[in-house]
Amino acid sequence: MKFFRDYFIPRIIQYVLVIFCGITAVFFIPRLTGQDPVLEIISQIQAQGASLDASAVNSLMKTLKELYGLEGSLLEQYIITWKRVFTLDFGPSFFQFPTPVSDLLRTYLPWTIGLFVTSTLLSWIIGNMMGGIAGYFSHKKWSKILDAVIMVVRPFPHYIFGILVLILFAYVWQLFPAGGMMLGRKTILNWNFILTILRYSFLPALTLVLLGGAVWFQQMKLLVQNVKREDFVQYAHIGGVKEKYIIFGYVLQNAMLPQITQLALALGQVFSGVLIVEMVFSYPGVGLLLYRGVTRGDYNLVMGITVLSILTITTAVLILDLVYPLFDPRIRHK
Amino acid sequence: MKFRWGNIFLLVLGLVLTVSLLASAQLPGGIPREETLIVDQLTGRVGMPNNFNLWAGWRNQDRGIQQLLLEPLWTVDYATGEIISGLAADLPIYNDDFTQMTVKLREGTYWSDGVPVTADDVIFTVDIHIQTPGLLYHGPMAEYVEKVAKTDDYTVVFDLKIPNSRFHTHFLDRWGCLRIMPKHIFENVEDQLTFEYNPPVGNGPYILNDYDPAGFWTLWERREDWERTPTGILYGEPKPKYVLFQWFESEEGKILSQLRHEIDMAQHTPEGLRAVLDKSDTARGWRRDWPWVVNIDPCITGIMFNNMVPPYDNKEVRWALTLAIDIVEYMAIAFDLMAPVSNLHLPPVPAYTEAFFIPMQDWLKEFELDLGKGETFKPYDPDVPNRIVEAAKLRNYPIPEDPALIQELFGFGWWKYAPDIAEKLLIKNGFSKDNDGKWHLPDGSLWKISLLSDPSPTHHHFKNANAAVDQWRKFGIEASTAPTEAFNTLVLNGEFEVSTQWPAAEPWGAGVDLSRTFDPWHSRLLTPIGEPVSLGPGGAARWSNPALDEIIEKLEKTDPFAAVEETVELGIEALKILIEEMPTIPTYGYCGAVAWDEQYWTNWPGAENPYSQPYQHWPNLKYLLPFLEKK
Repeated sequence: MKFFRDYFIPRIIQYVLVIFCGITAVFFIPRLTGQDPVLEIISQIQAQGASLDASAVNSLMKTLKELYGLEGSLLEQYIITWKRVFTLDFGPSFFQFPTPVSDLLRTYLPWTIGLFVTSTLLSWIIGNMMGGIAGYFSHKKWSKILDAVIMVVRPFPHYIFGILVLILFAYVWQLFPAGGMMLGRKTILNWNFILTILRYSFLPALTLVLLGGAVWFQQMKLLVQNVKREDFVQYAHIGGVKEKYIIFGYVLQNAMLPQITQLALALGQVFSGVLIVEMVFSYPGVGLLLYRGVTRGDYNLVMGITVLSILTITTAVLILDLVYPLFDPRIRHK
Repeated sequence: MKFRWGNIFLLVLGLVLTVSLLASAQLPGGIPREETLIVDQLTGRVGMPNNFNLWAGWRNQDRGIQQLLLEPLWTVDYATGEIISGLAADLPIYNDDFTQMTVKLREGTYWSDGVPVTADDVIFTVDIHIQTPGLLYHGPMAEYVEKVAKTDDYTVVFDLKIPNSRFHTHFLDRWGCLRIMPKHIFENVEDQLTFEYNPPVGNGPYILNDYDPAGFWTLWERREDWERTPTGILYGEPKPKYVLFQWFESEEGKILSQLRHEIDMAQHTPEGLRAVLDKSDTARGWRRDWPWVVNIDPCITGIMFNNMVPPYDNKEVRWALTLAIDIVEYMAIAFDLMAPVSNLHLPPVPAYTEAFFIPMQDWLKEFELDLGKGETFKPYDPDVPNRIVEAAKLRNYPIPEDPALIQELFGFGWWKYAPDIAEKLLIKNGFSKDNDGKWHLPDGSLWKISLLSDPSPTHHHFKNANAAVDQWRKFGIEASTAPTEAFNTLVLNGEFEVSTQWPAAEPWGAGVDLSRTFDPWHSRLLTPIGEPVSLGPGGAARWSNPALDEIIEKLEKTDPFAAVEETVELGIEALKILIEEMPTIPTYGYCGAVAWDEQYWTNWPGAENPYSQPYQHWPNLKYLLPFLEKK
């Protein structure tokens, strides 16, 4: 009962509050940018030199405003937004009218999840394993060389590193495609399709794994270097516990706790985390969709993606908070 | 088996090589590369890949819908200055008071499902637009058309409610127009707005083969009966069997793809074009030598004032800001000297040089500004192209000696760099300069210009903003650029003082009719600040002039085909008013950085042989394809 009162209920209240504030912010922020989705569409059409005279444009403006549901006061629109959140129906995308936002998410989200989750898990596993071992054997020469290499890779921005990878593997050695042309095709489960997906996803995944892995490596290495100096580890050494058991059972297991939290938070970034990589490799993901929505004042699309993002991250954090006592006896006993 | 890192490494390496080598198919469905023309799609990833109903809204029509699937009644070709009659057999015929327009249709054209294109399709298209609010061209059809009927299967007569000598322009394709619908398809549709028109039936030379559900590409295949389309009848067989439109999210990916011969026709940034030309042995620009870029685009770039906001509501202030610009330095900053300058609110393209630029030279040389106290100043400088040549030589660019070519490359002239005259004009209007050389407004406050611009550094809006700010800062104004994603909204709503919106609407690009450029400035379209203007390019300057109103109204009653001389005279009079008033400052003609790869296809419409407009995104692409040659 005490656990529920002091631990569970405050976290549920916090969860609801964060969602409420997040969604309210997402409703107002796009409307404060000064962008009018109707005028953005009109400008796009006029910028290409299309022949619409004044009466056609005026009639189009009126129609679009009605169709987009942009009539009515801000309060009325805010209430409609909450209705949409509860039904998870975010209405049509303005810029891709009349396609529903949910359809767009259904098309693009699997690609992002596929790339992002795979590369995040891979980079987490590889980075933590290598960082853990390098941290434990930090006095060895190979560990110092590896650390130096990672120090060079880590500061690279995704954009620059992606282009570097693209130039090396798509131009100098033409092993992989330069763009994402074959991606996005209708899914056909055959060997050729799988190879195609792997071929087009390899370079973006490589970029994410190397850059992400470098971050995990450095974090884990520092954590392990601290943990291995703790008294209980020294005690285990003196007590004659086998080194392999000390590494995995004592040091890595303790150092892993904050990394698990970080992993959950990192996975929550699925909606925006790979935007730059998607751009460099023309990858059909949801990050690009969000970017286009922001630049074109597509409120519904921005709302759809960010609401899902808020729900995912807050839920991940809540679950993590709730299951953390299972991993960490110190919290359980507190 | 003993665990070894070496084994793991070999396994991963093997997998990578397998993936990279086995899955070698580059094109959808095993389409042969040598039969395919691959072109870059301009307007981004297609938002609704499964929807081809461009009558109902924005559908990324440059994915091939307007270039290959559909033929309009007429198309503008700004490279030749001609209007191409497509589904129409000839230009429209108006009656004397412009209340009736007759269109003769070309016989022998068919929809891709074998149904002939006839007057019934035209009548249905117009009628359904009148009846259906929400269709893009509902407004003008409902406003103008009293009745549309046929006299035979290939002759359509439009009776108009209001006299309109430009009614045909709603069907004149220059990157958009009302295209004819297949009646036999759309008459069975319940909701014209939500109908996806997929698979689409077209009257152009290609039909849809496949498309990417994520919107990155669309593939078209030449019709078996291509000779039954206007393109086939006019120009013969389009050479590529397939045309693939592809969108690249990043410029780098597009450049690398072109270097790998995976894209034949692409529009880059100027920097991207240079990279491609530098690294590829088979790529070429519109010109084979510097400055490479397409400089016949019917679009003018420059600076726009909000004429409803002081001090920009004062023409002498606008002129002072114009004379504070050294156009040679400006061009060096904005576009590395590569574009033709223009002081008219028109780009110096073939259609307009003979009709307007050359005839106006004498007037321009004599044109004077009144500086007060009996003092005048002649601002025109026809020597600007030669000064640009000198600047280009300093940058070691290869410069032609032929004066005609110099004019073609750099334009006819611009305004003198005259900061002293600018100063006189400002002082005359109560402005003052402090000891630090900074200008102050008549109320004594520091003059600050926040120049609103599109945020993309590759956009001509951005390039113009950078150059203008540099020049005005040198002159002593506290100027800065204000790039923002909300550029379009702010400009249309009039929430700016100075911006780099298009200084004038693009003219048609063919014929001598400039109504499209002047119309946005008619006083009936003025709206107060905060309410959007309907025609942004030019119109967002929120300026009008009674004399220009009169000219626009006279043009509305002038037949652009039968009364060419009168149309030209009215155009010149209007251009003179624009110069005197300077509501916006035109600077240079838009330039497109097009790169063509000659690995698979040759005989591109370059500067040495401009048989067609050169862009892949314009509807005229279909008229270019019969001239391509397989390598």
